[in-house]
Amino acid sequence: MAVPNDLYYAKTHEWLRMDDGTATVGITDFAQGQLSDITFVELPDVGREVEAGDEIAVVESVKAASDIYAPVAGTITAVNGDLEDSPELINDRPYEDGWLFKIELRKEEDVDNLMGAEEYIELCAD
Amino acid sequence: MHAYAIQFDEPVPYQRGLDIQHRLLAARQADEIPDTVLILQHTPVITLGNRGRDNYLLKTPEEYKALGIEVFHAERGGDVTYHAPGQWVLYPIIYLGGSGADSHSYLHNLEEVALRTLADFGVEGFRREGKNGAWTEQGKVAAIGFRLKKWVAFHGMSFNVNLDLSGFKTIVPCGLVGQPVASLSTALGDECSPMEAVRDRLLANFSEVCKRELEIFQSLEKSPEELRKIIFSS
Repeated sequence: MAVPNDLYYAKTHEWLRMDDGTATVGITDFAQGQLSDITFVELPDVGREVEAGDEIAVVESVKAASDIYAPVAGTITAVNGDLEDSPELINDRPYEDGWLFKIELRKEEDVDNLMGAEEYIELCAD
Repeated sequence: MHAYAIQFDEPVPYQRGLDIQHRLLAARQADEIPDTVLILQHTPVITLGNRGRDNYLLKTPEEYKALGIEVFHAERGGDVTYHAPGQWVLYPIIYLGGSGADSHSYLHNLEEVALRTLADFGVEGFRREGKNGAWTEQGKVAAIGFRLKKWVAFHGMSFNVNLDLSGFKTIVPCGLVGQPVASLSTALGDECSPMEAVRDRLLANFSEVCKRELEIFQSLEKSPEELRKIIFSS
């Protein structure tokens, strides 16, 4: 299970890559593995205001559907359009081409509520 | 890991099963109860998953009504399927967000439960590449579809034991055109094992494959107060 050191992690298995107040968000390697082959992704509208914990996306595999949560509050500034035709990117490259959406954080310090890689690995091993 | 299992002797209407699942789901998300498995039979019902399309229904709403079959749009993954007495439905309300030690997906594990149960009754079952569920030479015996909310799974798997398969002829099961549906009875000829024996093996195999020690209750009424409180509160 890959868990890059430079990312933040939410309890609900999303990862965040911070860049100048905006977070790129995806689901972790652990999460994609549990869902198996992903066949469909429903993404939020760009411009939508979200609160931390809001259900804002759905990832479906052949036989499972999982809700995805906004890990922080803010505004959706982009979604990964490539996933529409190639949802398997989430399985193949969960931390790169398989990203889901970008959020401009309302308060940048909200990332402090999230976990680092070490803490996240502990959560998965519970 | 300790978990509960609740058996239901009488067939449960789909909406009632859904309501119980939703209540347990909320309690499991809040960590108020351990993982809890429901094992029950439904009164005749067709359910469509998220991807299930209405054109997999081969009858009109009026015709379904005349046949005594309800139709539901369910919020689970997977396509369309049919439930009726003579089929066990396994609904594990189970937290999947912290079991990093298990390298297999939950889907794989549910398939494994079905395959081991078939083997327990001397029937060879197998997986089919690109098609989920458990299959025998005669057709598909177990169908799987579930949903995760905050990484707690609900819905689950149905396993055909000795039900009248004609209900499946009113749909395109799982959206798979021309794929036969079978049951343990079909595979064994007439000598089908009783429902109770199959139920016990399904629970035992679930316990082993998913690594949950099941404390089994024979009915909702006999389940622990913490569960009854959640299920019977208004």
